Amino acid sequence: MIFFIILLVLTFLAQMAEFFLPPLEWMYNARIYLVPLIVFYGAMALPFPLVLMQAFFAGLLLDMVTVQALGPRVEISVGWSILLYAVLAAIMHGLRPLFIRGRWEVHCIMSGLCTSAILLSQYLMIAFRRGSLVFTREAWWQIGGPGVIAMLMAPLAFWILHSLGRLTANPYLPEPEPYE
Amino acid sequence: MNRSSIIALGIFAAILAYFLSFGADSTRKLQAGFYSLISPFLKSGSGIQKQITSVRTGLQTLEEVERDNASLKVENRSLKATNQALRDVEQEVNRLRRALEYKERSIFRLVPAEIVARDSSTWWRTATINRGKNDHIESDMPVVTDQGVVGKTTTVGENITIVLLLSDENCKVAASVEGTREQGIIQGERVSGSVTPLLDLNFLSKQANIEPGRKTYTTGVGGVFPSGLLIGTVQSFRVRELDGQARIAPAVDLSHLEDVFVVTGRK
Repeated sequence: MIFFIILLVLTFLAQMAEFFLPPLEWMYNARIYLVPLIVFYGAMALPFPLVLMQAFFAGLLLDMVTVQALGPRVEISVGWSILLYAVLAAIMHGLRPLFIRGRWEVHCIMSGLCTSAILLSQYLMIAFRRGSLVFTREAWWQIGGPGVIAMLMAPLAFWILHSLGRLTANPYLPEPEPYE
Repeated sequence: MNRSSIIALGIFAAILAYFLSFGADSTRKLQAGFYSLISPFLKSGSGIQKQITSVRTGLQTLEEVERDNASLKVENRSLKATNQALRDVEQEVNRLRRALEYKERSIFRLVPAEIVARDSSTWWRTATINRGKNDHIESDMPVVTDQGVVGKTTTVGENITIVLLLSDENCKVAASVEGTREQGIIQGERVSGSVTPLLDLNFLSKQANIEPGRKTYTTGVGGVFPSGLLIGTVQSFRVRELDGQARIAPAVDLSHLEDVFVVTGRK
């Protein structure tokens, strides 16, 4: 439980840090996202009810910083990011057997893909609301770029979080199987 | 799936449905509360960021220092000669600058504010300022600098407000082009690969043929922005199937904003 609370605190701090991370000009203004990495690590290292709670917390934070209430309408309702995080975290949780076997590379790649999936879903939702779907080179970079960055950061981030899990004696962390 | 997971899923679905049912007012209240809660983090983060930026810009390599030194010596000799002549002018400039202090010369009631955070998302362009309801700020108030329009307020907390920047696709402003009778709607791009995105001025007549360099101003139509505020300068004009479209470079550098004013009314 201590580890779960630490993950929530880290999720909050990562969301605050994202406010001050400038977009990468050399990558067509793609941004760096830290929160998905923490959520997707939690999806591997926590039991399903806690995964849902973490997805809820991260989704609510994302909704709060992105939601646009303009006059009488809301562009994307509060809740959609929660749903997105929950679905993607559930997929990652489904790959937990690989994590238990020590196959972290799958989760590193999946973290990148899921980060891009969040951005793609947001883009599709605003395109639907605003009435036109346009995919420019910049749009693809801004969807794919953060995913690539997440993939590159994932090994280090997962190693740090895994060490934290061991330090706090996270009871849900997998033990290496005898045959390995 | 075990029993506890099914129960957790049920509770999760119920809470999610509750949030999805939120209307604009409830969303605004929730968001304002959230921003009020995180405002200490944003304000202290903004302070740290400024310190880091000032240290980073102050650092130079030895070669750069030597090069600067050589050019400064030359410049110093030249400046000494002109310094004396400029002393009198300096006093006059300072006096005029004070006289032209934007807040004073403006015909609007302005609330000065500082940007404490920029948007952290890819698809929305907003900024957060350190003023709110306590300073009589409400939603849909224009935000300007002495150079021109910045955007408008959306969600307002006690001491913090979200500003929808002019470069966001959802920020639409009725605009006119100087020296013509052309009027249209300015809005930002949905996706921009540049740090300083251009704006689109749509619904111009196809015959407008607006020359680059002309300035665009708010018309006052729509009720949010008063008329006569500078928006930007025309960069190019093109004819589309149904209308003419001009590309506008914003007058305000939206990517490096630090201080802004919220227009709360007329004096």
